[in-house]
Amino acid sequence: MSQFEPTIVAFVCNWCTYTAADLAGTSRMLQPYNVKLIRMMCTGMVDPKYIIRALLSGADAVLVSGCHPGDCHYINGNYKARRRVKLLQEMLAQFGIDQRRLKLTWIGASEGNDFARTVAELVEEIRALGPNEARAVATL
Amino acid sequence: MKRKHYAALVVGAGIAGIRSALDLAESGLKVALIDRRPNIGGVLAQLDHQFPTDACGMCKMLPLTSRDSSSQFCMRKGLFHKNIDILLHTELAALEGDPGKFRASLRQRSTFVDATRCISCGECARVCPVHVPNEFDSGLSTRGAIYLPVPHAIPNHYVVDLDRCTRCWSCFEACPTDAIDFKYAERKDFRVVAALPDAAARTDLGAWLADQNFPLVLAEDGAAALRALEEERTALLLLDLAVADVDPEKVMRRGLELYPDLDVILVAGPGDQDRAEALIQAGARQWLARPLERTVVRWLDHHYIRTVSDVTHELEVGAVVLACGFDCYDPAQAGQLWGRGVVPGVVTALEFERMCSGTGPTGGRLVRPDGRPARNLAWLQCVGSRDPARGADYCSGICCMFAIKEARLARQADPEAQATIFAMDVRTYGKDFQRYRDEAESRDGVRFVRTRIHSIEPDPEADGVPITWMDDDGTLRREVFDLAVLATGARPPEGSDRLAEAAGIALDANGFAAAPPLQPARTSRLGVYAAGAFNEPRDIAESVIQAGAAALNAARTFKVHSPPREEQAAPAPEYRDVTREAPRMLVVLCDSCPTLRTRVDMPSLAARLGGLSSVVRVECVQGACSAPGWQAVGALAEELRPNRILIGACMPYAYVPRLRELGAQIGLDPAFMDVADIYTPTFPGTATPGTALETEVYTALAMAAVKLAGAEPSPVLGRLPVTPRALVVGGGLAGMTAAMALADMGHDVCLSEKAPRLGGMAAAHHTLLGGGDPRRVMEDLAEQVMRHPNIKVFTQSRIMLSMGRAGRFMTALATAEGPAITVEHGATIIATGGREVVPDSYGYRVHKTVLRQSELEARLADGSLDTGALGGVAMIQCVESREEPRNYCSRVCCAAALKNALTLKERNRDLPVYVFYRDIMSYGFSERFYTEARGRGVLFIRYSPADKPRVSFGQDHRPTIAAFDPVLGRELRVTVDLLALSVGLEPGDNEDLAEVFSLPTGPDGFFREAESKWRPVEFLRQGIFVCGVAHSPRNMSETIASAEAAAQKAARILAHKDVVGGRVTAQVRHSLCSLCGRCVSACAYGARRIDLERGRVEIDELLCQGCGSCAAVCPNSAGVLTGFKDEQVLSVIDAALAEPTQPTEATP
Repeated sequence: MSQFEPTIVAFVCNWCTYTAADLAGTSRMLQPYNVKLIRMMCTGMVDPKYIIRALLSGADAVLVSGCHPGDCHYINGNYKARRRVKLLQEMLAQFGIDQRRLKLTWIGASEGNDFARTVAELVEEIRALGPNEARAVATL
Repeated sequence: MKRKHYAALVVGAGIAGIRSALDLAESGLKVALIDRRPNIGGVLAQLDHQFPTDACGMCKMLPLTSRDSSSQFCMRKGLFHKNIDILLHTELAALEGDPGKFRASLRQRSTFVDATRCISCGECARVCPVHVPNEFDSGLSTRGAIYLPVPHAIPNHYVVDLDRCTRCWSCFEACPTDAIDFKYAERKDFRVVAALPDAAARTDLGAWLADQNFPLVLAEDGAAALRALEEERTALLLLDLAVADVDPEKVMRRGLELYPDLDVILVAGPGDQDRAEALIQAGARQWLARPLERTVVRWLDHHYIRTVSDVTHELEVGAVVLACGFDCYDPAQAGQLWGRGVVPGVVTALEFERMCSGTGPTGGRLVRPDGRPARNLAWLQCVGSRDPARGADYCSGICCMFAIKEARLARQADPEAQATIFAMDVRTYGKDFQRYRDEAESRDGVRFVRTRIHSIEPDPEADGVPITWMDDDGTLRREVFDLAVLATGARPPEGSDRLAEAAGIALDANGFAAAPPLQPARTSRLGVYAAGAFNEPRDIAESVIQAGAAALNAARTFKVHSPPREEQAAPAPEYRDVTREAPRMLVVLCDSCPTLRTRVDMPSLAARLGGLSSVVRVECVQGACSAPGWQAVGALAEELRPNRILIGACMPYAYVPRLRELGAQIGLDPAFMDVADIYTPTFPGTATPGTALETEVYTALAMAAVKLAGAEPSPVLGRLPVTPRALVVGGGLAGMTAAMALADMGHDVCLSEKAPRLGGMAAAHHTLLGGGDPRRVMEDLAEQVMRHPNIKVFTQSRIMLSMGRAGRFMTALATAEGPAITVEHGATIIATGGREVVPDSYGYRVHKTVLRQSELEARLADGSLDTGALGGVAMIQCVESREEPRNYCSRVCCAAALKNALTLKERNRDLPVYVFYRDIMSYGFSERFYTEARGRGVLFIRYSPADKPRVSFGQDHRPTIAAFDPVLGRELRVTVDLLALSVGLEPGDNEDLAEVFSLPTGPDGFFREAESKWRPVEFLRQGIFVCGVAHSPRNMSETIASAEAAAQKAARILAHKDVVGGRVTAQVRHSLCSLCGRCVSACAYGARRIDLERGRVEIDELLCQGCGSCAAVCPNSAGVLTGFKDEQVLSVIDAALAEPTQPTEATP
């Protein structure tokens, strides 16, 4: 059987990580197909239900990535995301979903290499973790 | 060129140029923005990290109102604005005419790469055999002769460095889209006539040019040359002055008569060079030395390609803003003094910044030249600054802060890094700088050593960079560092003398644009203004302020001098209503670039896309980014009349203006169109062809398609009529300057001052450092304000209450006489200033021999102080300043001390003057006065905050100051007649005002601006601006600049009939809303409120910036962000997960 290929949904901020991802692409850094980018205006608008939907619809992990603390284009959206993700991780654990399947990072617009590295590391981590069982639960 | 007329021409597209251009564009004026580089962004394109967040944040400069006029993405990638035309690789060649109607000639150098064809695939750079230092990485990496100037720009096209190109044609052959054009075929139309009497020279030239494709006629004498010229149209005449039979001048004149654009190139030997120079005056282009060398082939090639490829633009502009920035000092100019080239590990600050960049040459790792990690780092301050021997008797003003920032970055990159900064003075004179420095010292362990390192001696034994210095106690210390960072200062930009000549302005002794006193944005020529660091080295925040001031002056010149021109406002496009139709999507795939065609099975991809329910047609188009390709898209849209259009191409951001045009053309709201990037995954090096790649591209398109299917039309933009009046609070220098500026632009101004008279703090000044009569300036200004028909002044008035929003505020003023009045205004400027601190230390108010600097200045000015009778004067700097609770530098006190010390020395040469200081903050060009004061014998004695000077008083009240002198290494005691205290400034009583206008104040009581670097005169609350000392301590010139910048920001609002919001804004589905109020508290902009009367949540569309925080917190999904509806996002998630992930296979 071939190697398990995790699918990761990434909710990224228009002002920073989306730009970093673009930079990684144009800089010819390897971008694995495992990551599906969804551009948001700000991480502060990432509704927990989007994350849950992704995890229940087949994503093996969700990445939320925004501007560095203090650098949010919309003043404080990234802080809202930070609180929300932390809380959601606690809740996911209670429902039997490994906390590592939800990751929050700060990647600035110029940090294309950080984006490529974060994604590569996350893919490896999730590959080791195995498929997301919640997917099976949802289909039942 | 679409327009020939512009309100302003902005030269230089760095931070200041961009700010000036945006300021003008946002107030509705058309701007041409040019830069000699092939990219915008100036030095900031290279810098990833900015104080104080150590991240970037440049995007915060983008417009907040009418957001859709400009791009909405990272500004370091690029900028679009509907009122700004950007011309890159372009220089100002000449500027003629008068303010209001200048004629500007611009010369745009070709990049030899057709921007409409280049897809930035990089094939050309891969095959280029040339390797030269890459300027973008400050020479730490190499690039080819064809390269990307900035790797992250949008749009991004390769450019050819003609001087480095060997014309091997490899790139030409490698380019899959034929974008590179060296005009080889067109050479056959470039006829060259060479009149060379020397037979050998003719033979050589004929042989050299044999395979160059130029039609060449070799004439042995003048008569033959004349015949050849008559025969056929000629482009270039190579004329040897040794031609004897006909006078060469006659040949030249005949040639120019026949073909006015003929290039006449003379060939001259040592004997006839003067003749050649004379003929150049008469119309020849240039002369070459006889005998011609083989290099003439290369010369001809360059000359030809420049002649046929470069373009000249002629513009008519109302005003000109020069924002050409600065260049970093090149330490190699001082030879091997700082070990450049001989000691490995000596880097410049800019090189260090590139090392800190994650996408930089070292991938963000700090490494020694031998590859080991760099842990012990040193910063050497004042390299090329504060150094009259190297032509810089000025402080560059920025290096202390960037060194501290870099030291902190080093610590972030490697927690074990040790940073040492060697500096004479640590000039932390800006807002919040002192606390940043203190934090670097206490939290990050940055070590500050008080010394200047004059040189670095090579030592082959040392494992790194050896640095030797004398410690405070006189011992010689030596330490070896992994890296030594030279904090290179600012120098006038390369070519500034040429530019000054073209623009007709004077430069000062340092080579920067000369500015008249107290007119910070002016140059020596009326209608030409200087922004940013072009007239004095400045940091980002001050450059942004200065840029605002320049923009204001340019707008004022345009307003006053330009003939009124009928501007036909483009009618708002009308879109058909498609909300009730089922989605009918046209998918257009741009397949011009072979990377896609060769790697993805296009028919299969098209078939899969056709399977999506909303898609009615999938078409491939050649080069959607090119004009014909885009016409093909338009034609398809016309024919099919779809109600959704999805384009699969590269660089989606670059399509934003085009989608808008297409929308107007076919009557479809651009909200129903989108561009998905399908190229990045196909680039060589990222993936192999195959089904995995096809699925990746398909998924990207499918995600965009489902999002588009659920799209809704752009909401009708919120509009709010603007009350064309400004309220200025504070009648000091800042307030009056702002009021005058707005009044001159034709806006009504209401000026409120709490004192009985206008003038404020600046009116108390008697003299200025460097000369000038501030009293006179202030009196004149106050009189102009009182007399201006557009300004209404309320003295002895107080703001009681204010409400409203940008465009329409209502404010109640209490006046001395009669009842309160209500003022309706569209913008507010806070200019409440501050005051001099009254100290409690050093015997002030106890002994009459202790004065503040301002009192000493007054006594010197009114003659009540007999300097001849004095036996000595001492000054203490930073009294109750730069330590808690007033932990900030007041900027003006060192200048005041220097001013008074110089006046004392002028009146009594032998008078001993002692200045006890911590750091002399004579930043910028005021450094000259520090040099002068030391030259005149003023003694400067440094003290540390831990060991302050101790003052005792004798029976006669004469103060004795005792302090440790680090230079002498012993206690020093001086008894003097007068002690002057430099006490600094503190804010006025801002609390009441802050509450009335709901404005934040900082830890020191000064108003807190929206963003310290990018929005220094704005508040987060829109429509309210701050300037002068109310923002932070600043001198008169800086106060004027900030007042003008604030006035320009206010003018941005007042210039429009109404304020318009953006397309991406939040909305409320009232039927689902339970009025829980979570969205109200989540909104960072205060754009939401619960309307109790109507029982619903109301959104201020102008304040709403479209971040979507409200939608995320809404428990009922009642909050919706346009373009990001829950249904849309959820279906995008589903589309993303519809196809299982297949393994990525990288190509080797």
